[in-house]
Amino acid sequence: MTSTERETLIRAYANGEISWHSLQRRGFENYIEVLAGLGELGLRPPIAKMIGPNVESRQRGIAILQTHLRNKANRV
Amino acid sequence: MFKIIVTDTSPLITLAVADELAVLLLPRIPIEIPDAVYNEATRIKAAPGAVQIGEWINRNSDMVRIVPTQTGIDQQRRLEENRPTRGMGEQAALEAIGIFLDLHPEDRVLLLFEDADIEKRRAFLDERTSLISTGEFLRVLEHENEIPSAEKILDKAAASGRTIEKQRKDDIRNAESRKELQEQIQTTR
Repeated sequence: MTSTERETLIRAYANGEISWHSLQRRGFENYIEVLAGLGELGLRPPIAKMIGPNVESRQRGIAILQTHLRNKANRV
Repeated sequence: MFKIIVTDTSPLITLAVADELAVLLLPRIPIEIPDAVYNEATRIKAAPGAVQIGEWINRNSDMVRIVPTQTGIDQQRRLEENRPTRGMGEQAALEAIGIFLDLHPEDRVLLLFEDADIEKRRAFLDERTSLISTGEFLRVLEHENEIPSAEKILDKAAASGRTIEKQRKDDIRNAESRKELQEQIQTTR
């Protein structure tokens, strides 16, 4: 893989266009390489946009975590 | 009762290199890590994050558990035979979810996913399972004032990753230089 190809893939990953599993299939051996690539380009790991096939279960997951944290805060 | 099941190595490695694994326990929800995910993240002791992940699990054994799976056993066998093990972490996670829900039909699980995956791939789910990505998890913690900034943690992971990778490349270069030097010394004797 050339450094240009590598940079393109890392940018695509940072934009949420491809997954870590896709990067593995394209020659990245471990996730540190991905983090390093992001760091070199001044990028950060992506935060998923609220789109796609799992929106409902993700919203449920976020609500569960929020409720849990609020209950914990109330107990303290 | 809820459990968090970690479905991939990337959330663990991201938080380990950012030195922020502790944030996973802020909600005080028990965490299960399928054995194949754990093995993938820690089997090479020199790999960045591996030692931190192992120590963090040992320190928090009341809250974090490694789940044995048939896939994990198969993964070990494949490693011994130098066969590929890609995708086995995810397979073990599916097995761990099944085991947990079979044993605790009234309970619920929250699956911690990699961000880019959660956006595109339809996850196998029933109504007892919910999803959350690493980034979403951190954003909720930030929103609830448990951490100052999700983005800062992700930036720290990328910056540490860069430093670690640079150090690794320098080490390789230094080792090669030492070898060349030794060879030169031997030929001049």
